[in-house]
Amino acid sequence: MSSDAGSPEAAVGSQTGGDSILSIGDVHVSYGKVQALNGVDLEIGTGELISVIGPNGAGKSTLANSISGFLPYDGSISYQGDEVSENDPETLVERGLIQCTEKRDLFGFMSVEDNLDLGTYVRGDYEERLEFVYDLFPTLEERKDQHAHTMSGGEQQMLAIGRALMSDPELLVLDEPTLGLAPVILDDISEGIDRIQEEGVTILLCEQNVTFAMNHADRINLLENGEVVRQGSPEELRDDDYIRESYLGG
Amino acid sequence: MVNLSVISTIIVQAAMISALYALIAIGFTLIFGVGGVLNLAHGATITMGAFSAYYAGQFGLGVPGAVLASVTIPALFAGVLYLGMVKRLEDEPIMVMITTLVVSVVIEQAIVVFEGTTSRALPPLIQGQFSIAGSTFQNLLGAMFVVSWLLIGLLFLFVNYTKTGKGILAVSMSHKGASLVGIKSSRINLITWIIAGAFAGIAGLFLGSWLTADFAMGQAQLVLSFSIVVVGGIGSIRGSVIGAYLIGFLEIATTNLVSSSLQGLAPLVVLVVVLLVKPEGLFGREFTE
Repeated sequence: MSSDAGSPEAAVGSQTGGDSILSIGDVHVSYGKVQALNGVDLEIGTGELISVIGPNGAGKSTLANSISGFLPYDGSISYQGDEVSENDPETLVERGLIQCTEKRDLFGFMSVEDNLDLGTYVRGDYEERLEFVYDLFPTLEERKDQHAHTMSGGEQQMLAIGRALMSDPELLVLDEPTLGLAPVILDDISEGIDRIQEEGVTILLCEQNVTFAMNHADRINLLENGEVVRQGSPEELRDDDYIRESYLGG
Repeated sequence: MVNLSVISTIIVQAAMISALYALIAIGFTLIFGVGGVLNLAHGATITMGAFSAYYAGQFGLGVPGAVLASVTIPALFAGVLYLGMVKRLEDEPIMVMITTLVVSVVIEQAIVVFEGTTSRALPPLIQGQFSIAGSTFQNLLGAMFVVSWLLIGLLFLFVNYTKTGKGILAVSMSHKGASLVGIKSSRINLITWIIAGAFAGIAGLFLGSWLTADFAMGQAQLVLSFSIVVVGGIGSIRGSVIGAYLIGFLEIATTNLVSSSLQGLAPLVVLVVVLLVKPEGLFGREFTE
């Protein structure tokens, strides 16, 4: 794919903005005979917001789930210096690697507050984190007694991010946080991500909405057919003909 | 014409026995609701509870020893069954059904080998009688009612007000969601198997004391558990309690008003009617999305 992807103005290579918290080297993941990730390399420095963009089926969720310990892989994914595959997902959560999944995976028949409470099951100070989350998404406080399954998609997304923040993440993996959301909710989520970043949380944002990703990321990786075909700053990628034509509407 | 005394007998007796049925069914539905698998060794675990008490009596350990044995041995057995077999097969519910069924047969056959097919009497837990509205009942039935509701109440408090209990609720709703907040599903599953084993053991103790213990006593209880949880909604604790009382009352009413030979038919009739009219059960699966 990379060879057909237009002139590579933005180089594919590894760069980080700080001490590496996550290091991904030559990662391959397959579902039976289908190769979902094919030699992905990625570095995330502490405090950075790195985005992985790409179309449906590019491998973004596969990458997110591999990083969080839910999928077996070949190659290396190192979180805080330790190989991810040597830990189960729950141990990674204890160590601060928190994922907010595309499907949200909320506890639907529990209240908003109980969902947030469970976010501190293994880490995070409940009172302190709750104050931060309610300050970030006031809607959640207004609906604290409401069952999660009765909320709108946007509110559920806020709750999913809020629950992840309750765990006091060191690396927050956000998988498609804007998927299917109305523009007005997008603004809330966007503002929320800015605030989380200001808190110093390292974020990996897997996102199909390229404009949204470019507005937040320090560096962007374009994933297509399981391969990183472009890497660079948002400014560099905005100047890339292929990205402009294929993802930014010319 | 049915007189008042018969009606009060039916109501009180059914209320007491249904409490035990609820205890039995809750263990069965807890495992399904949290782990998504059916434990067909649940009936045999009840039998194990009864025979643990029986052997404790044989060894001269008295009532306290019988109670302790009837709780700890089935609870440990259920924990070992989960860790040794079920945990490896969790993603294959059919294999779990087959495996637990085989284990159930092995337990029953082991009892046949050691004790034969003859019924055994357990050490009397409580003696004496009490009267309500002119009808007399064994104190044992009263204890069965109180202990069953006490345990159901404790389970309710445990599930709703402790950290581990909330973990159980979380896993019952979403395994992935639970993992995302650091809850280890296998640890939660182990706890539910141990609780279900302990409840089954207590049920075996009461059933064995009230009637007698024999190698096949768990078979009817397994069918009963299955009927109750299907009627109430598989995975629903509230549904299990309602289902237990529905079936319990029907069973006792049939025995008292029609014929005791039709006692076993009542749960099956209710089961068929519910499957035809409301196949998801009265309460569905209250937790699962």
